[in-house]
Amino acid sequence: MIPVCRLADLPRGEAFRLDTKPPVVVFHTEDGEFYAIDDTCTHQDASLAEGWLEGCAVECPLHASKFDLRTGQADVPPARLPVRTHQVVIEGETIHLVLSDAVPNLPFAAGRGPVAGGAT
Amino acid sequence: MTTSSRTQSLIATLPGTYYTSPEVFAREQEHIFETSWFCAVRSADLAAPGAFRTVTVGRESVLVARGRDQGVRAFLNVCRHRGARLCTEESGTVRRAFQCPYHAWTYNLQGELIAAPNLTSMADVDRRDYGLGRVQVREWLGYVWVNLAERPGSFEEEVMAAVTARLGDGEAIARYDLAGLETGKRISYDVRANWKLIVENFMECYHCATIHPELTEVLPEFADGFAAQFYVGHGAAFAKEAEGFTVDGSAGLERIPTVAAEQDRRYYAITVRPQVFVNLVPDHVIFHRMYPLAPDRTLVECEWLYLPEVVAQGRDLTRSVELFDRVNRQDFDACERCQPAMSSRGYAGGGVLVPSEHHLAEFHDWVRGRIGE
Ligand code: FES
Ligand code: FES
Ligand SMILES: [Fe+2]
Repeated sequence: MIPVCRLADLPRGEAFRLDTKPPVVVFHTEDGEFYAIDDTCTHQDASLAEGWLEGCAVECPLHASKFDLRTGQADVPPARLPVRTHQVVIEGETIHLVLSDAVPNLPFAAGRGPVAGGAT
Repeated sequence: MTTSSRTQSLIATLPGTYYTSPEVFAREQEHIFETSWFCAVRSADLAAPGAFRTVTVGRESVLVARGRDQGVRAFLNVCRHRGARLCTEESGTVRRAFQCPYHAWTYNLQGELIAAPNLTSMADVDRRDYGLGRVQVREWLGYVWVNLAERPGSFEEEVMAAVTARLGDGEAIARYDLAGLETGKRISYDVRANWKLIVENFMECYHCATIHPELTEVLPEFADGFAAQFYVGHGAAFAKEAEGFTVDGSAGLERIPTVAAEQDRRYYAITVRPQVFVNLVPDHVIFHRMYPLAPDRTLVECEWLYLPEVVAQGRDLTRSVELFDRVNRQDFDACERCQPAMSSRGYAGGGVLVPSEHHLAEFHDWVRGRIGE
């Protein structure tokens, strides 16, 4: 279990991004629920922490696929694969995470560093 | 070079090349339109959060948008990545952000870069350094005014003072409640003439008796050739027979209730340099904005503004609108008649101004001063 932040640091409607490898994001929904998923969209390297939280889903800021925070599934293309979900544990005033041990569905370039060449 | 006198009565205009030269036009764009307060958009055209318009100001495309906080902001319409034009539409509404159509750099309504492919993998990049270029904004009279200068001049001194100087009283414009009126009609005129010909035409009335038969019927003193703009605080009185400011002198619409008794049955005209003309009559306001596009081409957007209930009730505005629509067409025809002659050798040295046009020389001196002569 890894500590994330204090409860007071994550108000409703906001996201907290953790620089793990791959990065993870914790959302506090308007309804007061906490969810954690991989921060990187499965379509291209975009941070879902920058996306738009709507109820129990987050819309990717780049091409508008929406991920269900409970299941990690994307609703419409271009993203097809789900993001992993992680377990959120609140202990006292602190938010913790239990990371999933599934294989993440990262987009091709994410986290691989600079790629030489490449074409459209 | 300053305006020289030909005789006591006739003084010189600008030479013809000022109206045709791409080089002069480029200097005007840089030193006039990109450094003045420029009236860009009617505020009501950006009603909801996410509503935007793109306008050409000088050589720049400017994106004007309303934010979630209801504030209006303006930006250079240029993606900070590799320079794609961010918004290509003239107007529209985005749900929450502007996204570049090339590589999807995404900016919020405050112009901040909020997302881009691989952005979080570039740990050394501070996204705050890559927001859209900000342009200064003011809202006044129900319009959004922008200023592209790095250090804009005072809005109060440049815009508000021009209105006060013409009306002779800082409160006079407030009585027409321009921000509270609504657009009853909008007409865009694509005029094949240099923008200065249009300003000059608007400032004088020497032509009124010749080309504006309907207007001089309603405002008989205009037949003498002295424009309302020749004086300070002077409103031209309606003809006794005219019931309202309409094409046939028939009754107009409901009077704007805050218009003062001394403003009733009178017509006032204001020029705010470099591109706004306003006409005030008791029941409506006619608001012109010019967009110079080329040395010989100017777009003029004109709104007829009425009380909200007049517009809501769908009242017949035809005769009211038709008066100034005709005046505009008569004026712009005259400007288009001058434009081809500006490059004639017969006009290389320019023409002359008669006494009722002498106040135009001050405009010419202002242009010269701004473009560095
Ligand atoms: S990067 Fe998320 S949908 Fe394209
Ligand atoms: S030019 Fe705009 S994202 Fe590349
Ligand atoms: Fe005229």
